[in-house]
Amino acid sequence: MSIGDLLQYVVTGLLVGGVYALMSIGLALIFGVMRVVNFAQGDFMMLGMYVTYFLATGYGVDPLLGALVVIPPFFLLGLGVHRALLSRVTGGGDPQRLMDAQLILTLGLSLIITNATTMLLTPMPRGIKTAYATQAFAVGPVLFNQARSYAFLMALLLAGAVYVFLTRTDVGKALRAAADEPEAAGYQGIDVRAMHGLAFGVGIALVAAAGGLLATYHPIEPTVAVNFIVLMFVAVVLGGLGSIPGAFAGGLVIGLVQSLTLLVLPFQLQNVGVFIAFLLVLYLRPQGLFGQRLRAV
Amino acid sequence: MKRTRFIVAVAIVVGLALAAPALLVPALAPAAEDLKIALVVPLSGRWARQGQLKKMGAEMAIAEINGAGGIKALGGAKIVLREADAGDSVEKAVSAAQRAIGREKISAGIGAWLSSFTLGVTEVAERLEVPWFTLSYADSITERGFKYTFQSSPVSSFQAEQALELLVEIAKRNNQPIKKAAIVGDNTAATVFFFKPLREKLLRAKGIDVVVDEVWTPPLADATAIVQKLRATQPDVVFYGATNFPDSIQVLQKIKEFGVKSPIQGVGAWLVTPEYVKSVGPELLDNIKTVVAAHPLKGQDELVRRFKERTGEPFMTQDPLMSYAHVWIIKEAAERAKSTDPKAIREAVAKLDLTSGPAASALAPGRIRYDERGRRVGAAPIIVQWQKGEPFTVAPAELATRTLVWQMK
Repeated sequence: MSIGDLLQYVVTGLLVGGVYALMSIGLALIFGVMRVVNFAQGDFMMLGMYVTYFLATGYGVDPLLGALVVIPPFFLLGLGVHRALLSRVTGGGDPQRLMDAQLILTLGLSLIITNATTMLLTPMPRGIKTAYATQAFAVGPVLFNQARSYAFLMALLLAGAVYVFLTRTDVGKALRAAADEPEAAGYQGIDVRAMHGLAFGVGIALVAAAGGLLATYHPIEPTVAVNFIVLMFVAVVLGGLGSIPGAFAGGLVIGLVQSLTLLVLPFQLQNVGVFIAFLLVLYLRPQGLFGQRLRAV
Repeated sequence: MKRTRFIVAVAIVVGLALAAPALLVPALAPAAEDLKIALVVPLSGRWARQGQLKKMGAEMAIAEINGAGGIKALGGAKIVLREADAGDSVEKAVSAAQRAIGREKISAGIGAWLSSFTLGVTEVAERLEVPWFTLSYADSITERGFKYTFQSSPVSSFQAEQALELLVEIAKRNNQPIKKAAIVGDNTAATVFFFKPLREKLLRAKGIDVVVDEVWTPPLADATAIVQKLRATQPDVVFYGATNFPDSIQVLQKIKEFGVKSPIQGVGAWLVTPEYVKSVGPELLDNIKTVVAAHPLKGQDELVRRFKERTGEPFMTQDPLMSYAHVWIIKEAAERAKSTDPKAIREAVAKLDLTSGPAASALAPGRIRYDERGRRVGAAPIIVQWQKGEPFTVAPAELATRTLVWQMK
């Protein structure tokens, strides 16, 4: 194998990982702030893909732009879902019972969204035909697929924007305070419930945007989420539960490991590399790549 | 007071509206002598589209039969379809078959598209003694000594053998002899059974080297590594089996991106659905070929026209064509059996030898007869090729609707 081939594997892995990363930070944000494991996250991504598809085919909106256009409506959708459903199973109460209720709620939501989409839009796969899906930038012997390169850059941009929002704005700081110490945040006058709603809205908007980017090269069908939801969870745990930079790094690592695994293992075992890396991280660094170790006092 | 009365009135209206379907059921229920066919196909999950296409074909045949007076030997009995969702796993398919056949008297069944599902579903049909028709390819479906399973497609290993013969011959005629081949696809049952004989003996016997052999478990994360190998080795033909639509789209997009020009030879009808044109456009598909068990042949224009008009689909493919033929076969068997009893119909199917009528003319070579294992006599693979956004039969030459083009664009 030449250096060029090896570089191609690395580039491919990173480009695939970029979109995994964006998918995962929404999930990490929701878990970090609300401690809710959202099983319906992949389904919101699927809805984001469909909206991008209809914008592209109905109104000629380029899917890269479509991925940005879906952000405000999905933010509102997230707020609405939080207010109508999730706010009833978060906040005060017996933590075990709340967790059970959250799992059942998000799992149920996932089933309803998938099946309703199948009924309304039929199971027929759809795809957005873009010129850049089948074109590449050539850098020496290495090809950078254009669709994936654009998607990667947009993912980087959006993740950067979220990072700045969380670290540089008052609302972002309040959000982190609500995540780290909800009780103390409440005493400081932060409306923790509103912060939960905000986190859910942003989390859903991000995953919908990731769906829009994915739609530039990946076909869309009601069950598309199944292919990604496990990887999202692995990325979030790999990076450190609830850590935004961690989830981003986790997504990139998964893409890279998936690609490099093929150097040593056959295609049928492509995801085995991901799960070996996952187990190794859990064994050597149980708090995840970016997580903080909690000590019992 | 007024408000209470209003609420009561609304409650009554809503209650009646909800109860209406239940009240109407006895009136609309099919008459006792109707012949019921179970259709167990994926109607949800990743293979739902194929199930939908199969349903379209079955419904078209039923509309034609019922419209022409039903089953004459049974006093004009109508055919009724009972569909059940095989979902996306063998367990779901088996439980759907159990529900469909166990709940009421079913005269015959059709399904379940994916070979792995069919293996499970036919076990249920055998136990409950209901004749079962399938288009699935896997050899093992008719290797278990079952009496009630009828496989209308040529089995995978035979398809591989026949398709290779056809290809080698065509390549020679085009002055492009095959010396290097690639095997690329997923590990679903029909693909595995097609690739196995190719890899183990057929290619070697023809003096062809296998230069790439890559098999994956769907879904495929990225196709770069596979296509990179194709670019490096430039095989004279790529045997291609990506049954999962998103995987296939990724591979085809990469092939274009990397400028790979090796002729692609698919294995199965999954490669000729209308969604491909919508997702990647006709240019990318042009000249890609695939082996299928059935496809509209020379002289079937009228059938295809009726199908397109009825369904709005841009063309007809193996899935609706096979279920169309299967319903007609069941109808012919019922005419001979003069009964809706599944055992009597099974006996009639075993004795059937049709050489004319809609069932026989739908499937090459124009004859419906099953051997003692339940395999259709004379069933042979057909090669279909994408040309300008539509798939046409290109081999064997006597059934072809277009001339085969060997080189990729």
